Amino acid sequence: MLKMTDVSKIYRTDTVETHALRGFSLTVEEGEFVSVTGPSGSGKTTFLNIAGLLEELTSGTYELDGRDISSLNDKQRSRVRNEKIGFIFQSFNLIPELNVYDNVDVPLRYRGFDAKERERRIMGCLERVGLASRPKHFPAQLSGGQQQRVAIARALAGEPRFLLADEPTGNLDTHMADSVLDLLTEINEAGTTIIMVTHELTLADRANRNLFVRDGQIHDGPPELHFATAANA
Amino acid sequence: MDIGPIWRAMLRNKAGFVLIALQMAVTLTIIVNAFGIIQERSGRVARDSGIDEANTFAFASVLFTDYEREQRKVLIDEDLDLIRNVPGVINAVASNSFPLRQGGWSMGVALEPGNQGPESVGTAIYFVDEHGAETFDVDIIDGKNFAPGQVTWSIEDDNTWPAYGIITEALGKEMWPDETGSYVGKTVFINDTDPVNIVGVVDTLQAPWESWTGVERSMLVPQRRPSEFVRYIVRAEPGMRDRLMPEIEAMLAASNKDRIIRDMTTMDEVRKLAYVGDAALIKILSFVVLLLTIITSLGIVGLASFNVSRRTRQIGIRRALGATKPAIVRYFLIENSIISAIGLVVGSALAIGLNIVMVEAFSLEPLAWYVIPAGVIALWAVGQLAVAGPARRASNISPAIATRSS
Amino acid sequence: MLRYYLKLAVLSIRGNWALSSLMVAAIAIGIGACMTIVTVRHVMGDNPIEHKNDQLFHVQLDNWNPNDPYDEPNEPPEQVTYLDSTALLEAGRAHRQVISFKSDRVVQPDGDGVLPFQQEIRATSADFFAMFDVPFKYGSGWDANADRDEERVTVLSASMNEQLFGGEDSTGRTLMMNNEQFRVVGVLDEWHPVPTFYDLNNNPFAGPEEIYAPFSLAVTGEWGSSGNNSCWKPPEEGGYEGYLASECIWIQMWVELTDEANKEVYAQFLDDYVMEQKQLGRFPRALNNRLSTPAEWMVNREVVDDTVSVLLALAVLFLVVCLLNTIGLLLAKVIRRGNDISLRRALGASKSELFKQYIVEAGIIGIAGGLAGIAMTWLGLRGIENVFADYEFISYLVTMDWEMVGLAVLLAIVSALAAALYPTWQACRVSPASTLRIQ
Repeated sequence: MLKMTDVSKIYRTDTVETHALRGFSLTVEEGEFVSVTGPSGSGKTTFLNIAGLLEELTSGTYELDGRDISSLNDKQRSRVRNEKIGFIFQSFNLIPELNVYDNVDVPLRYRGFDAKERERRIMGCLERVGLASRPKHFPAQLSGGQQQRVAIARALAGEPRFLLADEPTGNLDTHMADSVLDLLTEINEAGTTIIMVTHELTLADRANRNLFVRDGQIHDGPPELHFATAANA
Repeated sequence: MDIGPIWRAMLRNKAGFVLIALQMAVTLTIIVNAFGIIQERSGRVARDSGIDEANTFAFASVLFTDYEREQRKVLIDEDLDLIRNVPGVINAVASNSFPLRQGGWSMGVALEPGNQGPESVGTAIYFVDEHGAETFDVDIIDGKNFAPGQVTWSIEDDNTWPAYGIITEALGKEMWPDETGSYVGKTVFINDTDPVNIVGVVDTLQAPWESWTGVERSMLVPQRRPSEFVRYIVRAEPGMRDRLMPEIEAMLAASNKDRIIRDMTTMDEVRKLAYVGDAALIKILSFVVLLLTIITSLGIVGLASFNVSRRTRQIGIRRALGATKPAIVRYFLIENSIISAIGLVVGSALAIGLNIVMVEAFSLEPLAWYVIPAGVIALWAVGQLAVAGPARRASNISPAIATRSS
Repeated sequence: MLRYYLKLAVLSIRGNWALSSLMVAAIAIGIGACMTIVTVRHVMGDNPIEHKNDQLFHVQLDNWNPNDPYDEPNEPPEQVTYLDSTALLEAGRAHRQVISFKSDRVVQPDGDGVLPFQQEIRATSADFFAMFDVPFKYGSGWDANADRDEERVTVLSASMNEQLFGGEDSTGRTLMMNNEQFRVVGVLDEWHPVPTFYDLNNNPFAGPEEIYAPFSLAVTGEWGSSGNNSCWKPPEEGGYEGYLASECIWIQMWVELTDEANKEVYAQFLDDYVMEQKQLGRFPRALNNRLSTPAEWMVNREVVDDTVSVLLALAVLFLVVCLLNTIGLLLAKVIRRGNDISLRRALGASKSELFKQYIVEAGIIGIAGGLAGIAMTWLGLRGIENVFADYEFISYLVTMDWEMVGLAVLLAIVSALAAALYPTWQACRVSPASTLRIQ
């Protein structure tokens, strides 16, 4: 479903060239639950930005559902982000002035759905994450775990091709973190592809495929192997 | 403290600073030009009309019954007699107008007869008798006042102009620009061919129209005119004016029922009315200048506070690295000075430009040389004051911020 | 989508009370200053007879000094002589015509103990009222016969009628002026043209006269003109007769012509008349007649003071300062909202969608600023009224009409949108990744 081939991302300033990603290649099939781990500075954040079309790649190709989306213009990329990708951020990033219902509503507004369709999707997703009883609450009135669930509902509402999660439990305590991970597993088992970027091995465990990023390159395989190798190197 | 790094740091984040600089520029432009206008108008309003304004008042007598010419003369003589004998009255005169009245009589005078063309100079005319000079309280600086014999009644159907006149110094300078000697004894021509011999010169007596270019040019004419509408001007002893006004009005209303007394007014009121526009403009512009300064200050305070809040981390790091509180304050004051300098230089150019346009289009006076520098210094000071508050707050940011992860 | 943007705008404004209020205040003050001056200028330059503007013409003939124009560069005098005005009136070549001058009389009201008072009066030929669409409450003006027969008739203004007759229908009643008895034939309704376009030579904002009487009667009675009076050479003979026959100008003349073609015809007639007079030794200057519509005449007379234009220039600059303030405040707001922007971009909003969202918000601030600006303008006008309190007629100059109100709001919205352009553009350039703090 998702295919990156030989992707490079180079940050250039007047004096310095940083190769954040070098010849990065990756294929993700439908229904996979992929974790991407690596130490800081490895390029996993860059990978996330590229995968989520938040930044443009310097060279290589990025195909989604067979369509080359590496060289779209801004408007087209916005459309793809809106329709095909669901974001889940470490710091939830809910809009504080909007209530739960309206927060989940945000990406739908840019799709042009009518009110009934939006309501159907929003309530459906809130149901799925177990927050259908609190549509009028504001983020400030919810716990961290609940806020992350709202964010997940928001990510799901547009029926995206895959969820892109950045350290989804980073700001949660163990108990909430577990329930969020359970939810993600559930969602994946129901058929949604998930790509999760994290530096915690325990999270990576939950995925059914592990990728390891180091110095801008990606490697397949269980993380312990790579961490061991790194430690010995 | 080195300006270099401050300048380079500013360059990387231009938007906020450009806004402040622009605001200062436009504010300077407005303030400088407004001040120029205020100055000009204040100057106009301060001009001396030549008469003893504090103690002089005027009114009109309007005959509505048919009187023969001789009867009208008698009435005027009686009136003046009555008025002049009231205790507290210095003198009084019947004239056609007085300075700043907004209405009056003007004629062209020329050096040669028969020239009603470009050679003639417009002058205000005041018909008076020998009491006119004392009533108007003018200083005869050369020659002398009219002798009683020189003052005559106008003759019916005869427009010949009286042969004598007293002029203001300004009129003299206009007629004879190169003359260093006396104007007394010279002759000018009025009404095309009628000669007028100058018997005296007064220092100041303004025309009835304060915005006329020839406002300082007047001529006293020794003629009495027996019309149905007569204007009386009365000069009182200091402090007596307010008491005498109703007293004289009542006295004259009672002495003759065939006329009404109206338009009783003091010279102070006349001046106020003449300069209403100027006084109003001064007030309006002063208010605008004040309001503008406040708005610009608030704008600077706002933007500066905002800029400080954006650089909280940077400031904390500087403090952690050893900067003292005064050093932080100085940083912001210098930064503001740089912005002000740029803004005020641009503003000075704009101010001069606007002034040129206004001088062309609306015949304003050009700015005095000191107005722009004064404005620049004043606004710079305002800017520094405005940024002082946010700068103090910045200096109070704890160095501990440096160790906090965002 | 518009409703969504409106909803977001309201939420954003509520969430940033202080900043939003400051923005509204900045716009309101700038609009207030601007609109105060614009209103005064609008009223001063307003044409009270706009609906009839193209049919009325002010007549000027150049009977002036051969060596010197009346006014540079080659302007004819603004009034005409007795000889010319009566001759042209007699010739009757226009649909309607009026000759008039300002004079004064002593009014002697009925009743003991009521003091006589002097009052300004307009001595005019009969067509004045019909030509200038002067509204009557009771009765009407007099006709051409009354003019010719020098009947002692008079028309009163509404307030003069109030003062003398308690506001009743006073037609048919008599009024004593300068010991002569006049019959009231008409009473006007409220009529306050600003400026008094038919006579711009004296104070055009002082309002129309309160009493009207026939021109011919005034001349026979030798009522003096209390308006402007100029002669380039003295009358050849003495006395009133000599004055009437002189080249002194003291009368205003207007004609009503029903269309453009008639204007050509009348202009030709004037030329012919002057050529004729030249044969008699008058009109030494070259042919220089003028026919001006009220609008043209008001411009010619510079009814709108230069001072007002100066103030207008300064007021516009004042608005610019306020807008710069607003831009600064908006920029601050946008930067603070950086998170919201990146988030929406990440969730798939395109740059143009975000642009629209912020422009709508700016529009609402603009509307609020405009409404507040109307209040500021009202305050500003009261200030002007106060500062010019010695001018009795100032209240006529400081009224806001609906046109001005609409302009205030429009100006506010346009200003707010203009101020929002740069900050909003900046906002949309924020990249989706930047402020989301992705680790």
